[in-house]
Amino acid sequence: MSNIITAEHITKRFSAHTALDDVSVEIPRGSVYGLLGPNGAGKTTLIRTINRITLPDEGRVLFDGKPITQQDIFRIGYLPEERGLYRKMKVGEQALFLAQLKGLSHHEALIRLKEWFTRFGIEEWWNKKVEDLSKGMAQKIQFIVTVLHKPELLIFDEPFSGFDPINANLLKEEILRLRDEGATVIFSTHNMASVEEICDHITLINKSHNILSGKVDDIRRAHGGNIFSVQYKGDGKALIERISGVCEIIAHEESTTGYSSLKVHIERNEDVRSVVALINDTVEMRQFSETIPSMNDIFIRAVNGTL
Amino acid sequence: MRNIGLILMREYRERVYKKSFIITTILMPLLMILLGAAPTLIMEFVDSETKKITVIDESGIVAPKLTSDEELVFEISDKALPQALVDASQNEDNFGVLHIGKDIVANPNDARLYTSASSSLVLEENIADQIEKVIESERLKAYNIENIDEILEKVKASVHLATFRTDKDEESAASSAVASSLIGMLLGFLLYFILAIYGSMVMQSVIDEKSSRILEVMVSTVKPFEMLMGKILGIAFVAATQILVWGVLLVVFSAVIMPALMPENLIDSVQQIQAGADASALAMQQDVSPEMLTALASVLDTGHIAMVIAMVLLFTIGGFLLYASLYAAIGASVDQAQDAQQLTTIVTMPIIVAFVVIMMIMKDPNSPLVFWCSLIPFTSPIVMVARIPSGIPVWEIATSLVLLYATFVVCVWGAAKIYKIGIFMHGAKPTLRDMWRWLKY
Repeated sequence: MSNIITAEHITKRFSAHTALDDVSVEIPRGSVYGLLGPNGAGKTTLIRTINRITLPDEGRVLFDGKPITQQDIFRIGYLPEERGLYRKMKVGEQALFLAQLKGLSHHEALIRLKEWFTRFGIEEWWNKKVEDLSKGMAQKIQFIVTVLHKPELLIFDEPFSGFDPINANLLKEEILRLRDEGATVIFSTHNMASVEEICDHITLINKSHNILSGKVDDIRRAHGGNIFSVQYKGDGKALIERISGVCEIIAHEESTTGYSSLKVHIERNEDVRSVVALINDTVEMRQFSETIPSMNDIFIRAVNGTL
Repeated sequence: MRNIGLILMREYRERVYKKSFIITTILMPLLMILLGAAPTLIMEFVDSETKKITVIDESGIVAPKLTSDEELVFEISDKALPQALVDASQNEDNFGVLHIGKDIVANPNDARLYTSASSSLVLEENIADQIEKVIESERLKAYNIENIDEILEKVKASVHLATFRTDKDEESAASSAVASSLIGMLLGFLLYFILAIYGSMVMQSVIDEKSSRILEVMVSTVKPFEMLMGKILGIAFVAATQILVWGVLLVVFSAVIMPALMPENLIDSVQQIQAGADASALAMQQDVSPEMLTALASVLDTGHIAMVIAMVLLFTIGGFLLYASLYAAIGASVDQAQDAQQLTTIVTMPIIVAFVVIMMIMKDPNSPLVFWCSLIPFTSPIVMVARIPSGIPVWEIATSLVLLYATFVVCVWGAAKIYKIGIFMHGAKPTLRDMWRWLKY
């Protein structure tokens, strides 16, 4: 599979900090590629570098194997994190305007827009002014405008922020549908659930560095071992104190009424028995089982530097 | 090109379909006409107060020859001065008392005016003039020259210079320097306001796009050059629309309203000049200056107005485009309108220079300074427009226009670069090497 985007050794410095430090990513054609990372990790800067809004200090970006040019920009659909529309314009008029800028004829744009508006059930918004729309509504419009001209590469910066669960789901389905139609999708997020559901590849960026990159399945397999979930009743604080020396706490949820739950990573197999013993000794243990880690667990461990 | 067109249309529609635009477009010329006509109207409807002055003339020579007019009425009295003063102070109608000494012819300073309120300079000059004339003629009489009045009448002369262009093939149109500079100044000011209003409109529009966050979408869709060009041209069309409407309304008003406001015999004269009559002869009849008449004639000549408007449009559009690109560059490099203050001041400097130069056109429309300023793109839109009515060679206008439009394109190109970089420039302070890389990017 060829790479639609190859970013090589990208470094970008701003006056106060370095946003990207020697970051390389390869984005295979036809994939749904997740850019993960905590806030301020450098995801948006990487995206802006890929679509030529920001000029990197070092490194280069290849589009289809060739250094990216202004012309390639028109093959990209980009939904920025900071969403904006002309506030005084009517929704339909504005969507038509933006669609035509992307190269669609007025006629074609109108047909496709009607189709999308019907699919999202928002036909009655056509003559509303943008300033009268809610944030989520405006975001839908922007999503439509971004994908309308069927670009080869779609880049969404935090597409799920501002959406309720129902609409987030709708968006997920649309992203998968676009992938099936042949588009490559890059999106940044810190919503881990969505990563598991729709991404085939991810890159995890933390503190300006690419700390984890690859296929979701491979990553899971490689980093999936030795994660255990525990259910217990009793003094959680005392428990944590006793076991934190031998294992890594990934998640801990205390409950005063029912069972508390705990998720730990035990590095060495030999330690499993001693951990069980420690838990048994401190609290009333109800369950101890090995689990398949979620991307969320991997994310947290990677950011903590314990992966 | 297509994108420029699309952006142009959007910018144009957004502004022209606004209620405030329609209202200002219609009200502005009305307001201008009203302001222009206000002095005439005030003169028509407000009578100036008549001032009564009691004259005590001990010489007996001056008083009979004083002539009263609408503003000033002289009333001869033989009362003694103290008594007259008391009477005057009791009588509200009485503005004051003029006392003329016995030996006024020999001693011209022996005239005093007592007033109850402060008198005006005009009034004092009027009285002094009249007394002077009486004294002068009395002194002349003392020489016992025969037919003195007749001689004096014949000696009187008054020169009014009416100017004509002879270097043109078409019938020599009367072109008074005053008329030209009058129109030039007017157009210059108009242009200045256009640059100020619409130029900052472009700047505001760029800043607004930044704050409404639409910019990132636009930048990832179209080239900055297209974006800026579309925006500038769109607002240029807004300006052109507005000026065209204003122009048409002004022509209509000047054809309908202005004649109605002016004294009728003046209109006759103006029409006669338009028909080719001699301005100075008519001016003598009307007791107004011939410059004034020619100026009026050319102002009221709709054909002339149409020609000038065509030229003004060309230069206005060029000047606007040039300054708009500068304003756009400013908008691209700041985050808020307040931050732009200092930069806009620098940009408007050439406009101010142009105004100083316009004043010089009055003196000589062909001096080297005026000539060069009408070719240099940053001053030419105002200076050349002010020069055009005085009739200048076509090649000068053509060169000026070409320079103006060429500079504009270069400026937009540069502004687009700043625009592209200024948008997401919250990074390190750029070095010269960085700037070079940006220009190539």
